[in-house]
Amino acid sequence: MRRREPPPLANWMLEHLPSGDCDEALGGDLLEEFQAGRSDSWYRRQVLAACLVSWTGSLRARISLLGFALVWCLPVPAWMVLCERIEHAGAVGRFWQMTEARFWPGAVAMGLTLHSTFLWAGILLFCLGHRFAGSPLRWEKIRRALLLAPLIFTPVFLVVFVLLALYWDAVFPNALLAASPLRQMADLHLLANALRVPYFVAFLGALWAAAPRPLRASQPLDAESVLTEFEPEFDTLAVLSNLAPFALRRFLVFLAAAGLVNAMIGGYLLCRLPEPHSATLASLFLRAVVHVGVGVLAGALGSWLYWKHPSSPLRDGSPGSFAPFALICAAGWVWVPPMVVFADQLSAGAALIAMIGAFVLVSGLRSATGFVFSPAQPLPSGVGYESDGLFQESLQRPRADAFGYLIAVSLYAAGAALVAHSIFPAIALLAFSAALFAWKATVPSGRSFESLEETRRAALRLGLQVIPAILVTIWALAGGAGHRDLAAHADEANAVDENSSSQKNSPKPGTGLARNGLGGYESLILWPFPEKKQLLPPILQQNSLLAPGTREPVVLRFNGEYWFVQAPQKRPGPEAHQASGTPISVDIRANNAVPLVMDAHQNLSAPVPLARCREIEVEIENRDNKAGSISLALLLTDAAAPHKQTLYLGQQPIVSTDSTHFSIKQSPVFETLRFPVPPTGSIRKFSEITVLVLPDVEHMFAAPKIAIQQFKLFPR
Amino acid sequence: MTDRSYLGEFELMLLLAVIHLGDDAYGVPISRELEAHRGRSVAVGSVYAALERLEAKGLVASSLGDPTPERGGKAKRYFCITKEGLRQVHETRRVLTSLWETIPDFRLQES
Repeated sequence: MRRREPPPLANWMLEHLPSGDCDEALGGDLLEEFQAGRSDSWYRRQVLAACLVSWTGSLRARISLLGFALVWCLPVPAWMVLCERIEHAGAVGRFWQMTEARFWPGAVAMGLTLHSTFLWAGILLFCLGHRFAGSPLRWEKIRRALLLAPLIFTPVFLVVFVLLALYWDAVFPNALLAASPLRQMADLHLLANALRVPYFVAFLGALWAAAPRPLRASQPLDAESVLTEFEPEFDTLAVLSNLAPFALRRFLVFLAAAGLVNAMIGGYLLCRLPEPHSATLASLFLRAVVHVGVGVLAGALGSWLYWKHPSSPLRDGSPGSFAPFALICAAGWVWVPPMVVFADQLSAGAALIAMIGAFVLVSGLRSATGFVFSPAQPLPSGVGYESDGLFQESLQRPRADAFGYLIAVSLYAAGAALVAHSIFPAIALLAFSAALFAWKATVPSGRSFESLEETRRAALRLGLQVIPAILVTIWALAGGAGHRDLAAHADEANAVDENSSSQKNSPKPGTGLARNGLGGYESLILWPFPEKKQLLPPILQQNSLLAPGTREPVVLRFNGEYWFVQAPQKRPGPEAHQASGTPISVDIRANNAVPLVMDAHQNLSAPVPLARCREIEVEIENRDNKAGSISLALLLTDAAAPHKQTLYLGQQPIVSTDSTHFSIKQSPVFETLRFPVPPTGSIRKFSEITVLVLPDVEHMFAAPKIAIQQFKLFPR
Repeated sequence: MTDRSYLGEFELMLLLAVIHLGDDAYGVPISRELEAHRGRSVAVGSVYAALERLEAKGLVASSLGDPTPERGGKAKRYFCITKEGLRQVHETRRVLTSLWETIPDFRLQES
């Protein structure tokens, strides 16, 4: 006899999609009928019907919550307008803007609190209504709802905000809210409803689990049946720990994830601490031990808090104690600190470490908690070997497994993300594929982690992971410490030298190279090679270029600096590497995922009155053999002005690089870009010309091979 | 329980099926019983949803049986009618019968 297997997708749907009220007896009934000869399509129909019935039942049970949420969200457009006014008017508005300018996280927190106030008021009103109706909600659930509301609201609000920004022109052309608050409340247009969505979702999500399931009003019941209905409410813990294996599994996964997040937070905070100027091996070892120790302790603390939480199903009766569980998870958490350090440096090593950590964590959990995730089940008849034939062939058809494909796709996607310098997606994808592989490949032991043997095994496993984790952390700390220090020094120097013109003299060539180790240069200055025979000085010795009476254009051969920096830097730091050359003669590329910013600066010995210059021509030499869209923008700066005011002359595309005209260049291509100069502007004269190179995605991480040849200033 | 609550059509059918099946009343035979008498298929999920409603009203009680291999190790959920459920079935039958008796012409046409 051959055993038939139900459609796997339908099976998965039956297990995961119905609401929590659906018990396993339904699954068993469907399987029994299917084994009795029902078709695949019958099984699928039954699963769909079960899902629909479950969802509608779940919605019907919370009809009062749905109705209240809809009504409460009607005034949201008026509330948003009010929030806007609070943020921008009066003393509160001034305080808000000051906070935003000095400490933006504070302004974000204030905004979140303001928007959450609306949700909190609604939640309290809903609870008050239930109290008056005679079915008060439990305080723990109210507290949870109050906490959940802003947590749900924030991501939904961000998603709606991004979607609105993306599709504003297509969906909301000229969309405006009504003028008066009453009209705003009654506004049912798309924009008003889009604003209501985050509040509605947050309100429902926060109160979904808290709302009691009322009985049908059409059939009034006596006190006994009401007590029967609400009895589980008062003994949820016992029901969860005894009767809901799915809830137990979910909670164990949640505990491990909570520890993981805590370990990441601990590692991140440690990365923000100041680092010693001279790193010795002993100090690196000490710091690595602290990183790993804090990661483990933070993870254990996060899990323990949830383990002991009043809503935890493990609080009163668990299949094991916390210590062995923490030891098992800690073997994975020890890899979090080195991953965070590598991720902080945007190093691809973070993805590799994440993969190792995910594998260790999941395989440990899977192996040690098999009694939860894979409880022993009796072998079905007709499955496996027949009892009367020792060498008979298995009659069980191997199940089609999609996990292999999923792992392969994740690995390919992670590789693509690494190539594209997207470290964080690569971390997530590699960790996911390793976790999935560990889950499928690890054989559950079936022992309870209560046993002493399992505790000893977990401790040994942790000990074996700690040593390589500390070594990798030392490597991470030694390899990347310099990059952040240099960036920080550059930021400080930039802040100090913001209005200073002595930037040209401050960099000390070569000093950064000794300290930055594997990190490369934090910024770069290129000086063009001096001309062998320079008959004319580059800048005419006179008080003002293009003086009245000048008829011929002034030609200035470019002899300034090329700057290569990475955001958020705007100019090279004091330890920028300096070299002779042009972008054509050297290859410059980013060794991390931060785009390069390239610009060229030409100082003039004498200022040029803006009213005297009609146009500036920029002649470039293009040897870039990568098609793409590159533009040059021109900025004129009056260095003598108090705040070094600038005038933007717009941007011009480089035609010889544009993909429509592109061809492989065997010899350099010279191209001239013209920038008209307005007679008046924010400056009256200029003494510095800045050329900004605006690359496309293809040229973001490798400087284009384009050099500035000369400027030609035409008199007006 | 008050006398004002009456059973719906599907609920009455379910209660009658549970009474008829006796100790063997769980999802599969109940669904088969309904299909046999109604002449059309029934969703097992909706059977369970209705039975849960009836259980919440105290008209049926349920208990879990032993898991069996052909059900993938999942237990059966047996239902039995309660005294209140039986009373409501009788009450509904009484009301329906008396209502039918008030329509003599229609009854003659039927016979």
